[in-house]
Amino acid sequence: MAKSILRLTVNGSGREDAVPANMLLVDYLREVAGLTGTKIGCDGGECGACTVLVDGRSRLSCISLAHTCAGRQVETVEGCATDGRLSLVQKGFHEKLGSQCGYCTPGMIMAASGLLRRNPRPSEAEIRAALSGNICRCTGYVKIIEAVQAAAEGTT
Amino acid sequence: MSTPDKKPMVGRRAPLVDGIEKVSGRAMYTADLDHRGALVGRILRSPHSHAELLGVDVSKARALPGVVAVITGDDCDKPYGILPIAQNEYPLARDRVRYRGEPVAAVAAVDQKTAEEALRLICLEVRELPAYYEAGKARQPGAVDLHDDRPGNLEREIHHEFGEVDAGLSAADVVREESYDCAEVTHVHMEPHAALADYDAERDRITLHSVTQVPFYVHLRVAQCLDMDESRIRVIKPFIGGGFGARTETLNFEIVACLLARAAKGKVRIKLSREETALTHRGRPRTGIKLKIGMTREGKLTACACEVEQTGGAYGGYGIVTILYAGALLNAIYDIPAVRYDGYRVYTNTPACGAMRGHGTVDVRHAFECLLDTMATELGLDPFKVRRLNLLEAPTRTINDLAVESYGLPECLDWIEAASGWNVRKGALPPNTGLGIACSHYVSGAAKPVHWTGEPHAVVNLKLDFDGGITILTGAADIGQGSSTILAQVVGEVLGLDFDRLTVIANDSRITPKDNGSYSSRVTFMVGNAALQAAERLKAVLVAAAARKLEAKPEDIECLGETYRVAGGQDSGIPFKDVVSEALVDTGTITVKGTFTVPREYQGGKFRGAGVGPSMAYSYSATAAEVSVDEVTGRVTVDKVWVAHDCGFAINPLSVEGQVQGAVWMGLGQALSEETRYVAGLPVGPNILDYRVPTIVESPDIEVKIVETLDPGGPFGAKEASEGALSSILPAIANAVHDATGIRLTETPLTPDRVMTALVKQERAAKQANSRGAA
Amino acid sequence: MEYLPDFDLLRPKTVDEALALRRENPEARLLAGGTDLIVNVRRGIVDPKAVIDINGIADLRTITSPDGGGLRIGAAVTLAELLEDRRISEDYPALCEAAAEVAAASHREVATLGGNLCLDTRCLYYNQSEWWRSANSYCLKHRGDVCHVAPSGKQCFAAFSGDLAPAVLVLGGTVEIAGPNGGRTVPLGEIYEDDGAAHLRLAEDEILTAVHLPAAPPGRSGYAKARVRAAIDFPLAGAAIALRQEGGVLEDLRVALTGTNSCPILIAGTDRLVGETVGEEVAEKLATMLPKQIQPMSSTFTPPGYRRKVVANLVRALFRHLTEAP
Ligand SMILES: Cc1cc2nc3c(=O)[nH]c(=O)nc-3n(C[C@H](O)[C@H](O)[C@H](O)COP(=O)(O)OP(=O)(O)OC[C@H]3O[C@@H](n4cnc5c(N)ncnc54)[C@H](O)[C@@H]3O)c2cc1C
Ligand code: SF4
Ligand code: FES
Ligand code: FES
Repeated sequence: MAKSILRLTVNGSGREDAVPANMLLVDYLREVAGLTGTKIGCDGGECGACTVLVDGRSRLSCISLAHTCAGRQVETVEGCATDGRLSLVQKGFHEKLGSQCGYCTPGMIMAASGLLRRNPRPSEAEIRAALSGNICRCTGYVKIIEAVQAAAEGTT
Repeated sequence: MSTPDKKPMVGRRAPLVDGIEKVSGRAMYTADLDHRGALVGRILRSPHSHAELLGVDVSKARALPGVVAVITGDDCDKPYGILPIAQNEYPLARDRVRYRGEPVAAVAAVDQKTAEEALRLICLEVRELPAYYEAGKARQPGAVDLHDDRPGNLEREIHHEFGEVDAGLSAADVVREESYDCAEVTHVHMEPHAALADYDAERDRITLHSVTQVPFYVHLRVAQCLDMDESRIRVIKPFIGGGFGARTETLNFEIVACLLARAAKGKVRIKLSREETALTHRGRPRTGIKLKIGMTREGKLTACACEVEQTGGAYGGYGIVTILYAGALLNAIYDIPAVRYDGYRVYTNTPACGAMRGHGTVDVRHAFECLLDTMATELGLDPFKVRRLNLLEAPTRTINDLAVESYGLPECLDWIEAASGWNVRKGALPPNTGLGIACSHYVSGAAKPVHWTGEPHAVVNLKLDFDGGITILTGAADIGQGSSTILAQVVGEVLGLDFDRLTVIANDSRITPKDNGSYSSRVTFMVGNAALQAAERLKAVLVAAAARKLEAKPEDIECLGETYRVAGGQDSGIPFKDVVSEALVDTGTITVKGTFTVPREYQGGKFRGAGVGPSMAYSYSATAAEVSVDEVTGRVTVDKVWVAHDCGFAINPLSVEGQVQGAVWMGLGQALSEETRYVAGLPVGPNILDYRVPTIVESPDIEVKIVETLDPGGPFGAKEASEGALSSILPAIANAVHDATGIRLTETPLTPDRVMTALVKQERAAKQANSRGAA
Repeated sequence: MEYLPDFDLLRPKTVDEALALRRENPEARLLAGGTDLIVNVRRGIVDPKAVIDINGIADLRTITSPDGGGLRIGAAVTLAELLEDRRISEDYPALCEAAAEVAAASHREVATLGGNLCLDTRCLYYNQSEWWRSANSYCLKHRGDVCHVAPSGKQCFAAFSGDLAPAVLVLGGTVEIAGPNGGRTVPLGEIYEDDGAAHLRLAEDEILTAVHLPAAPPGRSGYAKARVRAAIDFPLAGAAIALRQEGGVLEDLRVALTGTNSCPILIAGTDRLVGETVGEEVAEKLATMLPKQIQPMSSTFTPPGYRRKVVANLVRALFRHLTEAP
C-alpha cells in the first residue's frame, strides 16, 4: 500500500511520517510513533479504550484514519504528565483507584482531560455524559467518577 | 525514610503499587511488548458447529510468499484441559470440530495481510454432524455424542443429599417450587486476548508472554502440548487487562502461539480480535434451575431441593467444578437442615464455558434468594426477618462438611437495612420504584487445588540485599485486583516498613516462585498468609542481626521498621541499613521463604465431589437495591445500591471497596442487560455493542460498607473481597423489581422486552380478574 | 495493526472537487465522521477502492440562518456542534434530543448529521465480521442470496437505525443534494426507500450537502428512544413528534419513527387528528395508526414484538408529554 507523508503534532512535538492511506490513527500511534499507552479493546468504536484527543476533543482512534489528523494536535496519555509528574486527572485515577487493571484507563483519562479543559467544574451528570463511550469492566465506574471529581477540585 | 508515627501498612487506603504505570500509559500489556521481528500469528476457525474433520489442506497457504509456518491439528496430538480428569481439548481440532469458532489451523506470516490471505487459502473437508445448542436437545435420546466417552452428552451428573430432605419438606408449612433460567454471560475483560511466543531454536527453549491469570497452569499445558521439558519453558505474565475467570485455564491461542513459534523457529505474536476473544469464551453457562424450598410459617427453612442443568459448551474446561460449586454453596450461608442437589453438566456445540467471577454460585444464589423473597411475601414476612431467622452461628460445620469460622452476615444485614432506609422507605416509594435485598457468600480460595501435588498452597520469597530494598517475589497474578499491593502491605506491616522499601516482582517463571494463580479468590488469603510467614522469617533474621549489633538478646529487640532498638532502653537504636549490613555479614544476600498450606481438616468431606466448595474462610455479603421501572419502555434502572461485605479484615479498604463495587456492578450487568445468545451456534453479539456491558451513564452509585469479622485463618483476619458480593445483586434487583411492579421474572437478564412482556401479562391478568369480578 | 483493505484517501476542499472525485472513482465512499463507515470497512461489509473525506469542505461544516428564515445545517456538521448550537436547542428541540441520544460523547465529536441520515441499515446477520458472515453463508444484503430474517422472500429487512431522521422528518426538513447535474432539494423522506439492501435513493455520484429546517413553527417537538443501555445503543425504536395546539385543540401533528423499518417512517394520517382536543383519546387514536405502517422484523437481538409494542408506548408517552403544560 502506497504511503504518503503525514504531518501532525503528537503530544506537542511535530512529526512527519510516511503512512499508508488506510492506516488507523490507533495503529499510527502504537506502531509508528511507538506510543502504546493508547489501547485497543474492541473491533471498532465500541469501548473507548483507544480514546485520544484531537485538537482537544475526544476521538476514537480505532475508527479514525491517521491521515484525517494531518495538521492537527493529537494528545495521548503519554503526553499528560509534565516534567515527569502526573497530571491532576492521572493523579485522581491513581489515588482514588479509578484504575484497577488499567486497560480502560488511558482512554478514560483522555476523555476526562478533554472534559475538564472545556468544563473545569463538571457536574456528576456531565462527567457521566463525557465518559459515556468509555467502558470499564473492573471498577463499576464509582471510583472513576470520584477520580474525575477529585481532579476537578484539584485536591487529590 | 524514618517516619516515627508511622501509619500501619495494613488497613491503609493505599493506591496500587503499580498504579502509576497504569495512569501514565507506561504499563506494558502483552500487545504492547516489543515485537520487533515477530511474525503475525492468525488462527483459522471452524465455520461448522459439529463436523468430522476429514482433511485440512494447507498446501496453498504454505506456498504463499511471506508465510513462514502453517500448523494444524496434526501438529499436536496431546489433549489438554484445566482439570487433570477432563482433558479433552486440542489446541487445534483433530478429527472433529465441535463449535463454530474452534481453531483448526494457524499461520505465522510476515504481516497481517499475508496471514489473512493465507487463512483464506486453507480448505477444510468435513462431514457435518447434527449440532445441539441447548442442553435439552443435547440430552435427548438418540443425540450424537460430542465426546465418545460421555454418553448422552452428560459431562457430569451429581446427586448429593445431606440431611433428610423429604422429611424436611413434609415438616414445612409452605413448600414452593420455581424454575429459573439464567442466560449465559461472558467476561469481557477489556484487554482482548494476546500472546507473544519466542522460540529459541538453538537451545530449544520457549518464552511465552501471555494474558493469563494462571501462568503456572499455562506453563504445564504448553510443556504437555509441545512435548517439551518444563524447564525449557518460561512463562511471563505482563500487565493484564482483567480476567474475571476467563484466563484461569490455559487457552488455545496460548498453546497455538507456542506451536507456531516453534514451527516458524522464531517469534510469533497473536492478537485476538474482540470477536475471537468472545469465541474463546469460558463464561458462565446458561443455567436452568428448579428449586424447591420448605419453610415454616415463621420463616424457618426446613429443607431445600435443587436441580441444575448447565449448558456447558463443547469441552470440559472447568465444567465439573462449576456444576459442583453450584450445589456445594447452597450451604454455608444459611442454616438449612437438609439439602438435595442434582446437577447436570451438558456438552453442547457452543464455545466452552468455564469459570467466571462467582464461579458456579451466581445463578443458583439468584434463584434461592428470589424464591426466599417470593415465599416471604406470600407469608407476609419481612425479607430481613426471614434471613435473620436462618442465620448460621460461627464457628460451625455445614451438613456438607464446610467449615465456617467467621460469619459477618448479621452485621451486613443490619447495615443495609439502616443505610437503605428499609424500615421507613420500603412500601412508601413512588409508583414503579422499589427496594429489594439479597445475600451471598463465596470461598476465600479453594482448599483443594486443581493439581494435587502435595506442595504448599502458596509460596512467597523475599530478597533483601545490600541496598536495603526488599523484593517480594510472587507467582500470584495481579490482574487488576491489586494483589501485588496487598502483598506489599502485608510484608510492610510485619517489618514496619513503608512502600518505598518494597518492590513486588510477580509472574516470571524463571524468577518468581510457582503460584497456582488468581482464581477462587485465593490470593489475599493464601498468598497473603505465605507473605506473612516470609516477612516474619525475615524479621527474625533482622532482629537477630540487630541483637548482635546491640549486644542484646533477640527477644529484647524492638523492631520499629526503620530503626531497631532494645525495648525499654534509652538508646535511640540503630537504623535499618545498619541492621541489614550486619545481617549480610557472612551470608550475603538474604532470601527467605514463606509458605501456606490449608490444613487437612478444611479440605472437605469424604464423598465424591467433596473437593469443590471447601475453603478455610467464606466471605459474606448483603445487598439492597433501589430500582425504578419505566412503564413505557420496560427498562429497569438501578438507582442506588447498598452493599455490606464481610471480608474479615480490609488489608486495603480502598481496594476492598473497588473490588466490591466492581463485583456488584458486574452482577448488575448480568441482571439487566448482558447475555450471550447464538444463532445456529454463532454468537449474536461477539462484541461490546450487542453484548451490553453497562455504561457509566446507567451505572448506579454503589455504597460499600466493609464488615470486619477477623477470620482466625486469614492474614490479619482477611478473607476474600472480589467475588462474594456479585451473586447478591441479581436477586436484590429482581426482588426490587417485584416490589416496584408486582412482577416476578424468573429469567435473567431483566431486559426491557422481558419486563414489558411480564407487565403486559400482568395487566391482562388484572383485566381478566376485573371482568370476572364484574361478571 | 488492524486489518483494513487498501484504498486511496482523497480530501477535496470544495463540493465540486468532491463531485469530480466521485465521478473519477466509481467505487469510492464518502467519509464524514466515519463512525459507521470505518466500522463497516473493518468488518468487511464495505470494501471501498477510495475514500473521499468530506470534512475539509468548509461549506458542509457550517450552520447558517438563511434570509427566508429557518436554518441550513451543513451535512458535515458534527452532532457535538449541533448540540452546542442554541438556535437548534431552542427552536428544534427534537433534533437536539435525538442527537444527544446517538452513540456516546466521543462518537458525537466526529459523527455528522449527513452521516447519520445516510447511515447504513442494520441487522444481526449483517453487522458481523467476515468470518461470521461467511460461516453463515452471507445474506441477501451482502454477497449472499438468502435473507436469514425472512428466508422465503427476496427482500432485505435490515432496520434503519439512525436517530436523527425522524426528528428531521417531523420538523419538515428538506435535504440539499449536489450531483453531476447540479443540485436538488427534496423533503428528507424522498431519499429513502423501505428496502434494507437499498434504502437510500441517492445516486452513486451524489452528495448530501445540507439539511434545511423551515422557520421554526410555534409549537413543540421532541424525541424518545427505546434501548437497553443509556448510551452506546442504537434505537430499538425511536419516535419524534412535532405538534402545535391552540387552546387544547391540535393544529398540527407530525410523527416519525426509526428502528421499525428499513427506512425512517413519517406516519401518514396524523392530519386527521388535527382539530381534535388533546387528551388520552387522541393519544390512543394516534397509537392505533402505527401498527399498519410499521414492520419490525427479527433483525435485532431483541424480539420484534417488543419493538412494535414499545414504539406505540413511546409515541403515546411523548405525545402526552408534549401536550402537557410545559
Ligand atoms: C458503537 C456505536 C454506536 C452507535 N450508536 C448510534 C445510535 O445510537 N444512533 C445512531 O443514529 N447512530 C449510531 N451509531 C452510528 C453512527 O455513529 C452515527 O449514525 C453517526 O451519526 C454517523 O455519522 P458519521 O459522520 O460518522 O458517518 P460516516 O460513517 O462517515 O458515514 C455513514 C454513511 O453515510 C455516508 N455519508 C456520509 N456523509 C454523507 C453525505 N454528506 N452524503 C452522502 N453520503 C454520506 C457514508 O459514505 C457512509 O456510507 C453508532 C455507531 C457506533 C460505532
Ligand atoms: S434482513 Fe436479511 S438480507 Fe437483510 S441484512 Fe438481515 S439477513 Fe441480510
Ligand atoms: S478500541 Fe476504539 S472504541 Fe474500542
Ligand atoms: S480498570 Fe480494568 S477495565 Fe477499567
